[in-house]
Amino acid sequence: MTELSRRHLMAGAAGLGLASQLSAPALAQAFPARPITLVVPWGAGGGTDATARIVGSLMEREFGQPVNVVNRTGGSGVVGHSAIATGAADGYTIGMVTVEITMMHWQGLTQLKHDSYTPLALMNEDPPGVQVSASSPYADLKALADAIRANPGKLKASGTGQGGIWHLALVGWLGAMGLPPTAVPWVPSNGAAPAMQDLAAGGIDIVTCSVPEAKAMLDAGRARSLAIMASARNPQFPNVPTLKEAIGVDYTVGAWRGIAAPKGLPAPIAERFTTVLKKINESKEFTDFMAARGFGVKWADGAGFAKFMAEGDAAMGVAMRAAGLARQA
Amino acid sequence: MSTFIEAWQMVLAPDVLLAILLSAIYGLVVGSLPGLSATMATALLVPVTFYLSPIAAIATIITASAMAIFSGDIPGCLLRIPGTPASAAYTDEAYAMTRKGQPELALGICLWFSALGGVFGTLSLIIMAPLLAEFALSFSTFEYFWLAFLGLMCATVVARSSPVKAIAAMLLGLLIACVGIENPAGTPRFTFGMTDLLGGIEVIPALVGCFAVAEVMRAMSVPEPPQLARRKFGSILAGQWKLTKEYPKQQARGNVVGIIIGVLPGAGADMAAWVSYAMAKRFSKTPEKFGTGHPEGLIEAGASNNASLASGWVPSLLFGIPGDTITAIAIGVLYMKGLNPGPTLFTEKASSMYALYIIFMLGNIIMIPLGIIMIRLATFILRAKRYMIMPVIVLLCAVGSFATGNNLFLVISVAAFGCIGYLMEKNGFPVAALVLGIVMGNMVETHFITSLIKSDGSLLPFFARPVSATLAAITIGLMVWPLAVWLYKKRTQATAAAA
Amino acid sequence: MHIPNRATGIGLAVLGAAVAYGGSLLPPVPGQQVGPNVFPMVIGIGLVLCGIAIAIGIGKSFEEPEEVVASEDGAHVPADAVAPVPHAALKTIVPPLLLLFYAFTVDHLGFIPTAAVMVATTCFALGGTWRSALILALCAPPAVHLVFAKLLRVPLPPGLLPIPW
Repeated sequence: MTELSRRHLMAGAAGLGLASQLSAPALAQAFPARPITLVVPWGAGGGTDATARIVGSLMEREFGQPVNVVNRTGGSGVVGHSAIATGAADGYTIGMVTVEITMMHWQGLTQLKHDSYTPLALMNEDPPGVQVSASSPYADLKALADAIRANPGKLKASGTGQGGIWHLALVGWLGAMGLPPTAVPWVPSNGAAPAMQDLAAGGIDIVTCSVPEAKAMLDAGRARSLAIMASARNPQFPNVPTLKEAIGVDYTVGAWRGIAAPKGLPAPIAERFTTVLKKINESKEFTDFMAARGFGVKWADGAGFAKFMAEGDAAMGVAMRAAGLARQA
Repeated sequence: MSTFIEAWQMVLAPDVLLAILLSAIYGLVVGSLPGLSATMATALLVPVTFYLSPIAAIATIITASAMAIFSGDIPGCLLRIPGTPASAAYTDEAYAMTRKGQPELALGICLWFSALGGVFGTLSLIIMAPLLAEFALSFSTFEYFWLAFLGLMCATVVARSSPVKAIAAMLLGLLIACVGIENPAGTPRFTFGMTDLLGGIEVIPALVGCFAVAEVMRAMSVPEPPQLARRKFGSILAGQWKLTKEYPKQQARGNVVGIIIGVLPGAGADMAAWVSYAMAKRFSKTPEKFGTGHPEGLIEAGASNNASLASGWVPSLLFGIPGDTITAIAIGVLYMKGLNPGPTLFTEKASSMYALYIIFMLGNIIMIPLGIIMIRLATFILRAKRYMIMPVIVLLCAVGSFATGNNLFLVISVAAFGCIGYLMEKNGFPVAALVLGIVMGNMVETHFITSLIKSDGSLLPFFARPVSATLAAITIGLMVWPLAVWLYKKRTQATAAAA
Repeated sequence: MHIPNRATGIGLAVLGAAVAYGGSLLPPVPGQQVGPNVFPMVIGIGLVLCGIAIAIGIGKSFEEPEEVVASEDGAHVPADAVAPVPHAALKTIVPPLLLLFYAFTVDHLGFIPTAAVMVATTCFALGGTWRSALILALCAPPAVHLVFAKLLRVPLPPGLLPIPW
């Protein structure tokens, strides 16, 4: 074989390689060839940021490529969520989407919806609990529910801002009991921690935030958790019943976090992500980390995540219309 | 006692000591860069703490945040560019000292009284944590409303200009705080359909624009000021000892106010510095010297600033309620490392708790030697030519503000605030009052509206709850007093003129 | 740029009126006695009052004339006693314009070239020589890139001139 023909052959092989890069299996095998950016729509130091960072560092180990976690804040999550949706659909820009994606479009804040993405995996879900002050006269959820029915509008609840996830959880719960949202007026707060403080200070009566967010105050004996709005009890709080067990109301809701890519991500790359994310979701590092923070681990693959978001979106629409928060039909 | 020895062993581990030293240097450098705040310095440390042992992880957060708060005073003092919203309260004072040829003295005050304040804050944490926590828990939205209102009143006391213009500047700040959806109603306000405005305008771009960019703009229109005389300064600390003996009352008051405000979640170091500076001026025998390079206000505000930082950990450690953005991040790290906040932390993990106290003390003590080195190095920039320093500042403004949210819109808002700050300054409107309005705006509105929801629309609880009533009396008194003095003066002047 | 008090006062009053009007258009929120419209209206009215007070000169006696530092011992002199800088008005708007330049071009040009342009222009506008502007443009951007992109992991766009590290 002459030098010339060999060079031709190599050029041909290279050409073949280039062509095959577009074919499915090779594409997934070669992926990733450079660092991946993981966009977080919320600020550094919060729960979503921490979850994204642990997922990012485990993904880095699986892929053997750096995964840069980037906080794109602003616009109450809209800016970051749109950065994920408008990124190049080549697998090098992915992001952590949160429950707010099923809420923001109902408020008319953005056109983005759950179907603006290629869902990859659901990683976490935290159901809210119903917390009352330690000195509250209501011993269990039944007593509380009766008090709400007897005196609509008297008890006040808090946990997050107006129209936030925990506000809608309250509205949804009241709706499931057949009560209007005005039965328990919502006091907006800057997150769960200030609400728990106001609960202890006697300013409000109920806080519907996730049980982990209330954990420190529960441990301090300042507050009690009467029930959680989930289908099963939380193993870390085995004494807290579900809504169904407590008052027979079948209502579940939760704040969730998942990984998604821009719409139109090639299927082989999406599958590769889902495989890796499943491994991460089951890894000891991830479950230990989530348990330490008190976060619930949940898993759904791409298709399951898409279905989960669609169902959540519809439920949110009902609750937001009931609360008069929806600006868009 | 054995737990105490155990705690020392935990702190004296080589990895912990190294973590303290490195994060101290890191905090000093990041805090001194215009556009990067102490919160930012802490947030950027979080990924690093993944790889550290629990005590080392917390040590990095504690040390870096304390250092960054002090070193935020450095650009404020040397270039009139405050590094944190807290130091905006006394930037003009510190800068005036620099122009009088006393930059080392001014920075020395910030350093020495910050460290002392930090030590007192830590002592309060050790001795009275449960008591302070109880106090913090007695605050509901009614009390917070008056507290925030009181904070706003400081704008007129601190400013060295027309009180009408100070109030106007503060109202502009409140207006800026209105922008976005982060209000109690969750309704977008003044966003003009722009997604970037939905989240509101943050205080860091405003601070960077109004002070740093406006300062560069001013530099453009005036000739280069003459070089400061190259003087030989003696020990930085010797002068401080003298000041400590000269102003014991101011220092003590600063510490107490800092501890009280710091322990209240949501108030934090920013407000502590403002209230203390205003108090120093109000109670001073020589209020006319304030703003001309007088150490009194600096001492009180500097002490208050760092005292509040330490006491801010009380509600965080006991109830998991963050005192400010820094402790909010720290709580995340605590959880991650299995040191879950709550009273059990003080009983079951007592040795870890003592270790935290020791780190607080160590952090504030090593702040002094490291801070002195930093001051000596930083004062070199006073000798550099203006055209070598200002370009780097413009660049840092762009990158620093971008880094707070990785969003280029922040750079645009910095440019806009540069123009606003420049125009305000030129026309006698105090820029610091604008910053105060932005910091406090949301707090005033949220607490007012949530209080009304809770009381079913009645204003009575604002005046009926004991703590609330006390705060209301102070606020209204402060509001009426200067007006009464002004009217009285006008009257005596008029009668004198008539006679 | 000094604007007469009358003009700033009227400007503030107009702004306040616009804010109060804009605020009054906001819809009320169910379950809240005080809606999102109240706070902007209070601010707007406050601004109108302040604007009028400034325009008619209330509180003027508290103001001090603007001063700049002119001599080595830090003594102040009135602003208009200092020799003016050529093209001062034009130069004043250079920093905000450069920030806008950064915001709109950094994604296309990349961090290093954009930063170099910013640094050199500011240096030049402040009276630096070509040599100092060049030195700054070569040294400052890589140094800032090192601190922010490497140590603080801020995603600065590589653009045309990616940094090798």
